[in-house]
Amino acid sequence: MFFIIGLGLGDCKDITIKGLEIVKKCERVYLEAYTSILTCGVDVLEEFYGRKLIVADRDLVEQGAEDILEGSKDKDVALLVVGDPFGATTHTDLVLRAKEKGIKVQAVHNASILNAVGCCGLQLYGFGEIVSIPYWTNSWQPESFFGKICNNYRNKLHTLCLLDIKVKEPTLESLTKKKKEYMPPRFMSVSEASQQLLETIKKLKENDETPVVAEDSLCIGLARVGSDNQEIVACSLKEMAEFDLGGPLHSLIIVGPILHPLETEYLEQFKI
Amino acid sequence: MVNFTVDEIRTMMDKKRNIRNMSVIAHVDHGKSTLTDSLVSKAGIIAGAKAGETRFTDTRKDEQERCITIKSTAISMYFELDDKDLVFITSPDQREKEEKGFLINLIDSPGHVDFSSEVTAALRVTDGALVVVDCVSGVCVQTETVLRQAIAERIKPILFMNKMDRALLELQLDAEELFQTFQRIVENVNVIIATYNDDSGPMGEVRVDPSKGSVGFGSGLHGWAFTLKQFAEMYAEKFKIDLVKLMNRLWGESFFNPKTKKWSKQKDADNKRSFCMYILDPIYKIFDSIMNYKKEEYEALLPKLGIALKHEDKDKDGKQLLKVVMRTWLPAGEALLQMIAIHLPSPVTAQKYRMEMLYEGPHDDEAALGIKNCDPNAPLMMYVSKMVPTSDKGRFYAFGRVFSGKVATGMKARIMGPNYTPGKKEDLYEKAIQRTILMMGRYVEAIEDVPSGNICGLVGVDQFLVKTGTITTFKDAHNLKVMKFSVSPVVRVAVEPKNPADLPKLVEGLKRLAKSDPMVQCIIEESGEHIIAGAGELHLEICLKDLEEDHACIPIKKSDPVVSYRETVSEESDQMCLSKSPNKHNRLFMKAQPMPDGLAEDIDDGNVNPRDDFKSRARYLSEKYDYDVTEARKIWCFGPDGTGPNILVDCTKGVQYLNEIKDSVVAGFQWATKEGVLSEENLRGVRFNIYDVTLHADAIHRGGGQIIPTTRRCLYACLLTASPRLMEPVYQCEIQCPEVAVGGIYGGWYTYVRSKAYLPVNESFGFTADLRSNTGGQAFPQCVFDHWQVLPGDPLDPSTRPYTVVQDTRKRKGLKEGLPDLTQYLDKL
Repeated sequence: MFFIIGLGLGDCKDITIKGLEIVKKCERVYLEAYTSILTCGVDVLEEFYGRKLIVADRDLVEQGAEDILEGSKDKDVALLVVGDPFGATTHTDLVLRAKEKGIKVQAVHNASILNAVGCCGLQLYGFGEIVSIPYWTNSWQPESFFGKICNNYRNKLHTLCLLDIKVKEPTLESLTKKKKEYMPPRFMSVSEASQQLLETIKKLKENDETPVVAEDSLCIGLARVGSDNQEIVACSLKEMAEFDLGGPLHSLIIVGPILHPLETEYLEQFKI
Repeated sequence: MVNFTVDEIRTMMDKKRNIRNMSVIAHVDHGKSTLTDSLVSKAGIIAGAKAGETRFTDTRKDEQERCITIKSTAISMYFELDDKDLVFITSPDQREKEEKGFLINLIDSPGHVDFSSEVTAALRVTDGALVVVDCVSGVCVQTETVLRQAIAERIKPILFMNKMDRALLELQLDAEELFQTFQRIVENVNVIIATYNDDSGPMGEVRVDPSKGSVGFGSGLHGWAFTLKQFAEMYAEKFKIDLVKLMNRLWGESFFNPKTKKWSKQKDADNKRSFCMYILDPIYKIFDSIMNYKKEEYEALLPKLGIALKHEDKDKDGKQLLKVVMRTWLPAGEALLQMIAIHLPSPVTAQKYRMEMLYEGPHDDEAALGIKNCDPNAPLMMYVSKMVPTSDKGRFYAFGRVFSGKVATGMKARIMGPNYTPGKKEDLYEKAIQRTILMMGRYVEAIEDVPSGNICGLVGVDQFLVKTGTITTFKDAHNLKVMKFSVSPVVRVAVEPKNPADLPKLVEGLKRLAKSDPMVQCIIEESGEHIIAGAGELHLEICLKDLEEDHACIPIKKSDPVVSYRETVSEESDQMCLSKSPNKHNRLFMKAQPMPDGLAEDIDDGNVNPRDDFKSRARYLSEKYDYDVTEARKIWCFGPDGTGPNILVDCTKGVQYLNEIKDSVVAGFQWATKEGVLSEENLRGVRFNIYDVTLHADAIHRGGGQIIPTTRRCLYACLLTASPRLMEPVYQCEIQCPEVAVGGIYGGWYTYVRSKAYLPVNESFGFTADLRSNTGGQAFPQCVFDHWQVLPGDPLDPSTRPYTVVQDTRKRKGLKEGLPDLTQYLDKL
C-alpha cells in the first residue's frame, strides 16, 4: 500500500493519529521537502516518530517516482506532505502512477493553508481562484496572477496568494547545463510579494490602465499559520510592501471589495 | 627617428576631414606588408633605404621569420599634400579648408585565409581599403574574399598592382602583354565589386579606374609606384593638355601616332597604345639598360627623365642601381599617399553611410546621429574590434575606432559586451578608462584623448570585455553591431599540459589566447577536455605556439586535429512529439523538419536574421521558401546563440499564458541547438514547430525549472524521429602552381595554373604538407571553409560512417557511448 499523508501546518505534533500509526508501521517513509516546509527540522520529526525519514527533493518526487513506489505493492511506503496531500501542491500524478502499477493508494488528510487561512476572519466561502506569486527574474516576470486577482476582485471575492518558496531549485544558468547548481533557499515574504504586485500595477498604469486592485487596496499578511508564533496583519498593499512579518512561511490575501460586518470587526484586531 | 610628435598627431585628430582610416588587404604573399613599409618610410618612421626589407608592421618574431603577417597591426602617419594635388579633392567633406596635412591610420592585415578574422576586425575600424594584387598571379581566392568583406562593411577600395618588378624581370612580358594583364586584373576586381555593391546604394560607385588614379602600379619590394596621375603630370606640359583629360587618354583603348601626332581610339599600323608608349616604354628602357649593364645608355636616359642620383649611389649597378633609380624617379610613398588622400573617404564622408550598418539602435537617437555626423561633441561611441597583447603578460590593449564623441584617459564609460541588451545589466560595466594610447607598429604612445573618426587603444578595458564590445557614455546606447566573420572555427584540437600540475596555467593561458585572437574558441568539454577551435591548420598551429610560448608558458600536449560536425534532420518528425514537465502538469507538442535548401545559408549570411522586421521577414520566407506567412511571422527565435541557422516556430492556436513560458522554451531551444541529441554538436538547418502546449493554471508551476528541461527533451525527441543526419564542413581549395615551360632564350617563363576543388575539412589535414612535398614546394594550396555537406548514411545505424563519427565524438566528449534513447525524451499521452 502507498500512503500519502498530510502533516498539517504547525510542528511535528500536527500529524493525525491515523497518520502517525501508518508512519510507524511503514517500510520506508519519504518526506516531501520542496513545496512547503515545517517550522521544525527533520531531526525533530524523526525523533517524534521514532524512525528514519528519507528527505525527497523535487528531482526525486518528480522524476524518481519509480524509486518511491518501488516495492509498495506488497510493502507499505509513505510520502509525507506538509499541509494536505491534495492541497496547494497536487501530488495527483504520483497517485496515477501508483494506480497504473496496480498499487493501492490511501490518503490521510490534514489541515492546509487553503483552509487554515480562515484564521484571519474572512469566510472561506468568499474566496476566489487561488494564485501563486513566483519570484521574478530578470527575464521572467509573469503577471498572469494579477489578472486573476483582479477577476476575483471584480467578482467580489478575496484572493489567497501563495508565495514562492525555493528550497532547492537549480539556478537558471545551470538549468541548461548537465551539472546542476542550486540557488540558496529563499522564501518570499509578504513585503516582497506586495512589491511585485505594486510594480505590476505601476506597469499597467503606464499603459493607461486602471486596475481595480491598487496601492491602497486592503490586504492581509499571514505568517507561520498553524504554529505557535503565527502572525497576522491587515493594511494597504503599499504599507504591506514595507512590513516585516518575520520568518517563513508567508501568505498574502487581497481582500475583496465587500466585507461582512463580522469580517470587518474581526479584521480590526490585525490592523496596524 | 619618428618625424612627427604625438602632439602633432593629436592636433591632426581634430581635423576629421583630413583623416583617412584604411586597411591594406590582399591574398597571402601579394606583398602587403612590404608595400606598407614604403608608406611608413614616406611618413618617416623607418629610414627610406630599409623600406622593402623591414616589414615594419610584422611585429612578431614568427611573422618576421615566416615572412607572413599573422596579426593585423596599426600605425598612424602624417604627411602633407602639395597644392597641385589638393585640387583633386573636391568634396568639402574630404578636406578641411587651409589644411594640407593628412593623418593616415593604416592597418596592415594578414593575407592567409586562416587569419581572415583579423581582416574582418581591421575592416570594421577603417573606411577605405588598399587592395593589393600581385600582377603576376592576379586576383586570387583571398583577394575576392577580402574584397567581398570590404564591400559588405561599406569600405571603399582602391587597387594596387604589385610586383611589377617580377613581371618585368622574371616573366619578361612585353608592354602590350603587361597592359592586358593589368586590364584583366582591373576588370576582375570590378566584377567582384559589382557583384557585391549596388552602384545606386549609399556608397555610390566604388569601381576602381586607372584613368581616375584609383589604381596604382609598382613594386613594394623595390619601393616604387605610380598612378596615371604621376605620368600625366610629366607629360601635361609637353602635350599642353589638361591633366584630367590626359589621364583618360593614358589608359585603355587610346592610341597615339607619333608621326601624325594624332590620338585615336583604334589601333592601326602606325600608332601605339598610349599606356605602353608613355608609361611602360620608359620603365622598360630603364630596366633594360640597367639590368644589361648598358651604362652609357642609362647615363644618358636618367637626366632626361629628371632622375638625379646621389653621389654614393652612382657606383651601384644591376639590381641595386635599378632599385635606387626607380625609387628616386617614382617614389612609392608619394604615389600611394596621394591615392589614399584623394580616393579614400574621410570618416566624415564614410560614417554618413556606414552608421546604419554599424549601429543596432534606432537610427535617430543621439548615438546614431553622433556617428552619422562624426561629431566629437556627441556622446562617446567606440567599437573595440580586437585585443592586442601588451608587454605585461596577460594584459591587453583594447583596440578600436571612435565613431562619435571623445574617449579620454580617466573618463567614466559604459563598457558593453556583445550580449548586452539595452535596459538590462548583463554584459555591462561602468568603469573608468585607465589610459588612451596611440598604436604605432611596435610602439605605443600615451595620448590624452581621442576624438571621433580616429583609431586608438585603451588600457584597462580588457578585464571587462572578452574580445570585442562597445564603449559609450550614452545611457540608452545600443551596441555597435558584432562583426561577422567569413571563416568558421571548424578545426579543433584538444590540449593538456605535459605536467598535470600545470593545469591552472593552461586554463589561464587559454583565457588569454581567446582574448588575443578575434576568432579562436577555447572550450572546456563536459569531460574536462580543453578544446581550441580555429579556422585551419595554420591558424591552430600559430594559436598553439602562442599558447605554449606566450600565454601559458608551459609545455603542452595536443591531440590530432578533429573537425566540428553539425547535426541536422532529413525528414519531418514521423510523429507528434510530446514531453511532459517534471511535475507532469505542463505538456509540449512539437515536430522537427529540415529547412528548405538555402535557408540555413541565408541565415548565416544575415539575409534572414532575428533583428529583421517580422513582417518583411515573413514575406521573404514565404516568397523564397514557400513558408506559410502566418507561421513565418511567429518565429520565436534563432539558435544556437540567438542567431544560428535553426528556428523555432509557434504554430499553436489560442494557448493562454503562452507568452509566460516563451523565454523558458527559447532557453531550452538555445540549449538543444547548441548541443544536439546525437553527439552534442551544433544543430544546423532544422525548423522546430510548436503545435500545442498544455499548461498548469498557476504561474509558479510553469517556471523555467519545469519548462526549460522539458523543451530540450521534446526537441531531442523531435530530432530523433526526423531521420537525423550529420553534416561535415567542406573547404574550397585553390591550388596554384607554376607550369614550368622552357621558352626560347629567356630562361624560366612561368604561367600559373590554378585549380579549384572541394575538399572535406576532415581529409585536409596534412594536405598542404603533402602537396608541397610532392611538387617540390611549388604547389601552394589555400583552403577556405565553403559549406556544410550532409554525411551520407544514418547515424543511428551502426554499420555507417556517421555512426562511427558520432561514437568517436561522444567518446571524446566523455558522453555515454551508444545511441540516445528516444524513450528518455518522448512521453506518452
